[in-house]
Amino acid sequence: MIWFSLLVLIPLAAIIVKASGGGWHTYADTLSNSQTLDAIKLTVGTSLLVTALNMVMGTIIAWVLVRDRFPGKALLDLVIDIPFALPTIVAGLVLLSLYGADSPLGLHFANTRSAVFLAIAFVTLPFVVRTVQPVLEEMETDVEDAAASLGASRAVTFRRVVLPTLVPAIFAGASLSFARGISEYGSLVLLSGNLPHRTEVTSVRVMSYLEGGDTAAAASVATVLLVVALLAIVSLDIIARRVARRDGRNG
Amino acid sequence: MSIEVKNVNKRFGDFVALDDVSVSLPTGQLTALLGPSGGGKSTLLRIIAGLDSADSGSISIEGTEATHLPPQKRNIGFVFQHYAAFKHMSVAKNVAFGLEIRKKPKPEIERKVNELLDLVHLSQFANRLPAQLSGGQRQRMALARALAVEPTVLLLDEPFGALDAKVRKELRDWLRRLHDEVHVTTVFVTHDQEEALEVADEIVVINQGRVEQVGTPDQLYDAPANDFVMSFLGDVTTLGGELIRPHDIEVDVTPGEPGAIEGSVSRVLRIGFEVRLTVLTDVGEVVTVELTRTNARRLGIAEGSRVYLNAVLGATRV
Ligand SMILES: Nc1ncnc2c1ncn2[C@@H]1O[C@H](COP(=O)(O)OP(=O)(O)OP(=O)(O)O)[C@@H](O)[C@H]1O
Ligand SMILES: [Mg+2]
Repeated sequence: MIWFSLLVLIPLAAIIVKASGGGWHTYADTLSNSQTLDAIKLTVGTSLLVTALNMVMGTIIAWVLVRDRFPGKALLDLVIDIPFALPTIVAGLVLLSLYGADSPLGLHFANTRSAVFLAIAFVTLPFVVRTVQPVLEEMETDVEDAAASLGASRAVTFRRVVLPTLVPAIFAGASLSFARGISEYGSLVLLSGNLPHRTEVTSVRVMSYLEGGDTAAAASVATVLLVVALLAIVSLDIIARRVARRDGRNG
Repeated sequence: MSIEVKNVNKRFGDFVALDDVSVSLPTGQLTALLGPSGGGKSTLLRIIAGLDSADSGSISIEGTEATHLPPQKRNIGFVFQHYAAFKHMSVAKNVAFGLEIRKKPKPEIERKVNELLDLVHLSQFANRLPAQLSGGQRQRMALARALAVEPTVLLLDEPFGALDAKVRKELRDWLRRLHDEVHVTTVFVTHDQEEALEVADEIVVINQGRVEQVGTPDQLYDAPANDFVMSFLGDVTTLGGELIRPHDIEVDVTPGEPGAIEGSVSRVLRIGFEVRLTVLTDVGEVVTVELTRTNARRLGIAEGSRVYLNAVLGATRV
């Protein structure tokens, strides 16, 4: 508990104190700044989209990694973690060289919103995969065999038997992925171009407030992010419980 | 004949799990697949269920050619050793699963589920989750779930294997009674010969991917086809170079019958009401003999006694 307090609670409190040091009007000012507001909208919107995508793709990738047998599987299993293991600025460089102005793939995402999406998708990919994978590994194939023997097709088995078991893990991964998404900085500063109102994300905004010496404004944006993250985590948790229960006791 | 297995072969890589297995399992009976671990019992059962496929050979169920049917279309009930419960569903939901898949009307499902929960004595646990049940209760739930779809055949893979000895025995008697009530053709896998002898109408002994013998418990016990079946179905020892059951040996302290084998008792072990002797015969054979305590006392047998051994009349010998 003390460890947790030191690590999490104290810095959080500090941010909030810092931001409220300027009183409510700091919040009001910062949030009525249209550039900041656009940055927050872009960040939250893109993170939501990416998280939704991760929930689907991450589950599928985890499934393939656990259930399918193919050459190169061990390698893929390793590669999944690379976005996670790479220092984010290095990830940014990789993305820039792949999708930047002189893209070898002929894909030019530099200075577009797609760049933001791409960067966030890249760094958050491992979360859902890595939370779902162990649950799938734990799951006995017996359960799926039982459903098949009772007449359930593969699709029905997946939806009614496999998925409900995975739901808590999928949503846990989604929370992590979303939280990471809204706070992403390093991997997207290079590729996105940080164009105000268009491709500038919240973390970049915080950075520029800090550079301008306006720590109170930076802290209040940070507080907003914090609240958004908390809201997202709590609501994802509530949804997960709902979904898990739907097929459960009665009904 | 309900289930016809013909010339089924199955390999896992180089390993031959089933070697040209042919067997017919009778309708309405309770059949045990009995054999040592790794013998291929589960593999055979899963091939019958369609959960695994044979490399060659054919399966037919109640006259329907089933070799290439997926498990969903075979109308079988399958019970797994480790319950395979749907953990996020209540007991009632688990049982209803197969009926919901078949899109039966709600009132019918409800009636059927209640009926089955009654049958397996789980009515008061209908709304619990599987995690809140004991192992035995979970397995009864799994059984009700399998029976709900009114399967043509019920297949159970070591259904009581994960339970402790007492519950195991209870459930095994209960399965027998249930079968007498429901009469569905049932095949269950076990490696416990006592379980097979006690419950089954017919036993198929499987070892190293081959069928060693098929018969009623009495046939197998009294007329085992070979050494393997003889020794797998009960304790054995050798007397005069032949396999014989230790309780089928008669002990005397005087040379009565001609042809008796002479030896001396090297060890006396008392287990409950019976006494187990280890006899070293004069020709150098080590023989285990079982007799009742009363008998041993009457004969005054102790370590070092001279004894004369004979097979009793009608003893099973291979
Ligand atoms: N999926 C598989 N891959 C490779 N080998 C397998 C597979 N399934 C079974 N085997 C092998 O086939 C043999 C027969 O297995 P099976 O499960 O049918 O035995 P069993 O008679 O049911 O034994 P037990 O009483 O231990 O359950 C075993 O030697 C096992 O190692
Ligand atoms: Mg087995």
